[in-house]
Amino acid sequence: MREIHKVYPDGTVALRGVDFRLEPGEIVGLLGENGAGKTTLMKILSGLLPPTRGEIRIDGRPVRFRNPADALRAGIGMVHQIFTLVPPYTALENILLGQEGSALWLAKDRARDQVQRLLEELGLSIPLDVPVELLPIGVQQRVEIAKVLYRGTQVLILDEPTSALTPLEVEELFRFLQRLKEGGRSIVFITHKLREVLEISDRIVVLRNGRVTGEIPTPEATPELLAEWMVGRAVVPRVSRSPRPPGEPVLVVRDLEVMGDLGLLAVKGVSFEVRAGEIFGIAGVEGNGQSELAQALGGLRPIHRGEILLDGKPLTPLTPIEAYRRGIAHIPEDRLRFGMALNFDVAENSILSRQWEPAFLRGWGRLDWTRILTFAAELLQRFQVIAPGVRAVARSLSGGNQQKLVVGRELTKEPRLILAVHPTRGLDVASTAYIRELLVQMRDAGKAVLLISADLDEVLELSDRIAVMYEGKFLGMGPVEAFRREEIGLMMGGVAPQGRAV
Amino acid sequence: MRRARPLLESLLAISIGLIAGGLLMLPFRYDPLKAYQALFQGAFGTPDDVLETLAFATPLMLTAITFAVGVRAGLFNIGAEGQMYMGAVSAVFAASFLPLPPGVHVLVATLVAMIGGALWSLIPALLKIGRGVHEVISTIMFNWIAFHLATYLAIYYLAEPGRAERTRPALPTARYPILAEGSTLTAVIFVAILFCLAVYFILWGTRLGYELRLVGENPEAARYAGVRIGRALLWSFLIGGMAAGLAGASQIIGRPPAWSLYATLGNVATLGFDGIGVALVGRNHPLGGILAAILFGALQHGGRFMEYHAGVVSELVRAVNGLIVITLAVPEIWTMLRRRLRR
Repeated sequence: MREIHKVYPDGTVALRGVDFRLEPGEIVGLLGENGAGKTTLMKILSGLLPPTRGEIRIDGRPVRFRNPADALRAGIGMVHQIFTLVPPYTALENILLGQEGSALWLAKDRARDQVQRLLEELGLSIPLDVPVELLPIGVQQRVEIAKVLYRGTQVLILDEPTSALTPLEVEELFRFLQRLKEGGRSIVFITHKLREVLEISDRIVVLRNGRVTGEIPTPEATPELLAEWMVGRAVVPRVSRSPRPPGEPVLVVRDLEVMGDLGLLAVKGVSFEVRAGEIFGIAGVEGNGQSELAQALGGLRPIHRGEILLDGKPLTPLTPIEAYRRGIAHIPEDRLRFGMALNFDVAENSILSRQWEPAFLRGWGRLDWTRILTFAAELLQRFQVIAPGVRAVARSLSGGNQQKLVVGRELTKEPRLILAVHPTRGLDVASTAYIRELLVQMRDAGKAVLLISADLDEVLELSDRIAVMYEGKFLGMGPVEAFRREEIGLMMGGVAPQGRAV
Repeated sequence: MRRARPLLESLLAISIGLIAGGLLMLPFRYDPLKAYQALFQGAFGTPDDVLETLAFATPLMLTAITFAVGVRAGLFNIGAEGQMYMGAVSAVFAASFLPLPPGVHVLVATLVAMIGGALWSLIPALLKIGRGVHEVISTIMFNWIAFHLATYLAIYYLAEPGRAERTRPALPTARYPILAEGSTLTAVIFVAILFCLAVYFILWGTRLGYELRLVGENPEAARYAGVRIGRALLWSFLIGGMAAGLAGASQIIGRPPAWSLYATLGNVATLGFDGIGVALVGRNHPLGGILAAILFGALQHGGRFMEYHAGVVSELVRAVNGLIVITLAVPEIWTMLRRRLRR
């Protein structure tokens, strides 16, 4: 019998004083948006992160975990969103891997019996001798779970376990979790999906901005209440903007389907248009197909089905340069990953994705440094980028100034359509305000702006029309005034409001 | 400051390496000061020694380019050795067996060698681009294939009649002119330096170089920027292959007294691998590579005097040289490792 108490007040980033308890034999759903602190909280519980302040108690005794092994010894194990299996090893080898003090290859036979018994007891079926890379995602997840349980875990933490699973696999997982619970184990189920948390949990804890905003036994919970706790009630001040009639559609997307990295559909048939002089915002919890949608529009990912029209003409097949030529500026979702090279200097970064333009070249493919340096200096000045100089390495700029450089570079492409993906994530207040203002200026100047953001406030503040993306589809679309905040929260959690399906 | 820092780091490493080498000499009762004096005297003491040091440096600055251009594109191309063998064999073929008019002959032999080196790098390049075969594996294998192929060709097809231990010497029309009586330095050093300058210009002055470096710095950003990644990698391999081929040629048509390839490959062996160390010391920069190559040349040429004048046994001389090289390479290896770990 175990009882976990965790009192955790924190000054720094993710968590601002969270109380969390877990009884034996219960399933707790931990619900919240991106950045609410769900994963951080559980990483602390599983020993992966040390808490800044606060304490963890098991059965009333305070404990301190220095690493995940400590937590495992105390019976707490976590299954992460990204699996930690060794692809060419068999399921059995993966389960045994990292076992303390085991002469792995010698004790394999005996260990094999133990694992076999455990699996029978749990009712899990896993082919033990197949390399895990050949197994479907759902089975890989079972291996991951078995790996944690094999260490005698009583508390199992699952981080967004259903995000990569098919509906059938989800059902199987849920049945399995029920059995675990009946066997006396406790489970924490991290998710942003309302339907799932209502279906599987006994009790629901909602986090927002690092605080617990609500806790309720599941039978008493309603989707509306949970959604409100999740997204809050605050009224977002709208940025001042000139009222202008929407212009011609610039971007038209019809029945678009795009594959994700795992070979499953990530965008499952969305249709929308973005008109000149409007900001169309796509809200939603990250990982619901937004990245894939943006990459498809930017020419970085092939489309599976459907079509993209820009100014009435089809845009496929598309390369990044072709997208630019046709008038798409792309502020990528992660500037460090896609948008810039940290060891390049400011001038070099200012022409990244534009290095082929004749304006920056002389004959024989030579770079015209005079023009590049002038252009970079103009960018710095026009977009208020604070940098030691145009030849300063990009690494030496603050995140806000790096992003302003990327945004400036894209906005000076004279685009028809601006594709802005999480344009202000992780930035300071001043840079955020400035970049948002720039996007509105672009809209007022008659550009079409497609804003994709996991920050609901940002989408509500800037957009003329919005859509909510959930599991690769739009759950609702319309003028921003047509939705109440709670409705949007419901849709982000996967519940379509009555009578307003797409 | 940003540009000066690598230079300072390398200078610091040189000092540490020399001190460590000196400490190594102490337990064997050698006088480090005297030994280093002999080393320096030997490397730079007379104009002739300077020329000799430069002669040793010439192939090294080129094989360093092979590695450096690879690293700039995110590759670990250690195929300079094999590509250099193929360049040397190609040079022998063009210089000793093709009768051509003076002037044209040198040019043709040089170009043929560069093409030979580039072709040898083409297969690992295509394997990498098309099939994702890691270049470390493929270039190591190609080094061995090249070694045996070059030996075979040297013995059975290119050998000098009656002297099986080496190939037929380059015809006089195909030889680079010797720069000073009695020295082994020829005008090929100007070609080598020119090549390094050209690579420097390509890397920082052209769209191709920009894209190549972008692929090395951040492949995903390169994709976002519309760079054709395979093309950038291909050029990195080809430029490296040409450099290695030229290095091979420099030892055939630009290095008296042999003007030929030994059947053991003894007069070219390890120049390609040494280039990796030179590139690291030169911080994977074509111009840094020239300076580093001169340093390595000094260690090689001057090391012989350390043995002769200070009485240090030759094994210890090599150990001291090795220590200096290792210390010199540390800063760049450290940077590369850090970059890799961050990903």
